[in-house]
Amino acid sequence: MTIVNFIIYLMTMMGIYSLLAMSLNFQVGVTGLINFGQVAFFCIGSYTSALLVVKAGMPIFVGFLGAMALSGIMGYVMSIPTKSLKTDYWAIATLASGEIIRLIALNEDWLTAGPFGVMGIPQILKGIISKDAYPFFYLLFVVACIGVVYFLLNLLTNSPFGRNLKAVRDEEELCLSLGKNIQNLKLKSMVVAGMVAGLAGALFTFYIAYISPENFRPIETFLMWAMIIVGGRGNHAGAIVGAVVIQLFNVSTRFLAGYVPLSTESMGSLRMFIIGLLIIVFLLYRPEGLIKEKKKIYK
Amino acid sequence: MLSINNLRKHFGSVKALDDVSLEVGADTIVGLIGPNGSGKTTLFNVVSGFYEKDGGEIYFNGERIDGLPPNKIAKKGLCRTFQVSKAPEKLTVLENMLLAAKHQIGEGPFSALFLRGRVRKAEEANLDRALELLDMLQLSKLKNDYAGDLSGGQKKLLSLGRIFMLEPDMILLDEPTAGVNPTLRVQLMEAIQKLQKMEKKSFFIIEHSMKVISGICDRVYVLNFGQKIAEGTPEEIQKNEQVLEAYLGGA
Repeated sequence: MTIVNFIIYLMTMMGIYSLLAMSLNFQVGVTGLINFGQVAFFCIGSYTSALLVVKAGMPIFVGFLGAMALSGIMGYVMSIPTKSLKTDYWAIATLASGEIIRLIALNEDWLTAGPFGVMGIPQILKGIISKDAYPFFYLLFVVACIGVVYFLLNLLTNSPFGRNLKAVRDEEELCLSLGKNIQNLKLKSMVVAGMVAGLAGALFTFYIAYISPENFRPIETFLMWAMIIVGGRGNHAGAIVGAVVIQLFNVSTRFLAGYVPLSTESMGSLRMFIIGLLIIVFLLYRPEGLIKEKKKIYK
Repeated sequence: MLSINNLRKHFGSVKALDDVSLEVGADTIVGLIGPNGSGKTTLFNVVSGFYEKDGGEIYFNGERIDGLPPNKIAKKGLCRTFQVSKAPEKLTVLENMLLAAKHQIGEGPFSALFLRGRVRKAEEANLDRALELLDMLQLSKLKNDYAGDLSGGQKKLLSLGRIFMLEPDMILLDEPTAGVNPTLRVQLMEAIQKLQKMEKKSFFIIEHSMKVISGICDRVYVLNFGQKIAEGTPEEIQKNEQVLEAYLGGA
């Protein structure tokens, strides 16, 4: 792999994780929903798009739409227990839902091919774009998706809807006293976030062309959390910055491999160690993250 | 307009509300007084749906409202403020006001994205009213400050402004002037009176200060140990011996 190709790969993954981080930020940073099962959306998005195209023979764009739709539905399902579970207990429930989705992918062989994963996933416009230019084309496609999602999420966050969500985040009881249906607001927030993460899943699927349950371990959720802690919550630019920083650290060990006298396994641990350290440093010295939540100023 | 019949609420063996019945008519300002722990705030919490009652009935505009969730009761036009003011800390003072506005468009993702023109129009109208109210409450200078940075008294004022944005038929105010400076307190009470006359709203107010209450209320109820011990005009209440005893401990 040449260095240029590697950088394009790195940037594409940064892009896909930016979407996942923006989705998580919409839940955590804007709505105050502590979701420890974010990877569930990613997993559903990836598998739905892969299976729709490979098994059902649908065109790729249907794979994208299906991924977003099913992840959105998952958002709806995950929002149901917010009715009776308080923040922290709901967070534990989400952790479980992330694992449930992965275990379904791992065990329902008839559908997902189990641990072998889904292979032979076609790529978008593969025949039209030359092999050399393809990675760059896909990177542009991912960036375009980020642009659209960023624009739409900002519109939502700055609308009366976003104002309601922030109010739910800060003062649930007040919202009730103002006649807001907080259950319904949380539901809508989860569906929107689920659709964004589902899009990320589909982008991942058609980029990697091979997915297996191994891609959707709980550690992925942890990485997305690291991104919004470092980047900053309550604003979507922070999520993107965080995704770039954390992905950089996450692959840093590949650069270091030649220079540090450590085995490959130790390098993997070192990587997690570095990210963990980064989280602690940020929580202690810059809890608001690299980019602060923007205040809305009226003339 | 609001009628409460034989309302009961227990916390363990403590009878926080013991067969309380009272009426708040349309177009009036009614006061609710009583010593600490007499059940005033509990009454508000039950009426507004935040607590479940243990017995009795509550009617608002002829409709039974006990058992409904707080947001449904608020939607029916019966709204409350809190004794310890609540304000979403990362929303500015103006955003707090707009948050409460009655006529909003764009509270869901679809309308927020696809009805942008109408959303903007509604926001502008609400903004005008919000600025007017903030002016009256002397909060204009703080309009772009985070609500979380306000003092306790300022938060009280903000919650009053916010509830006016909601345009309810009846407003339950839980100690609206605690922690507000005396000059402003008088202005606040005048503002409440003015609003009541102009917009024909009803107010049901918990207050500690007899002075504040007697200045503006048409009628006053007195609670002690969860029971209604007196009702009448402010003058009658001030002369009532049972009330004086409850307040002054029989001195």
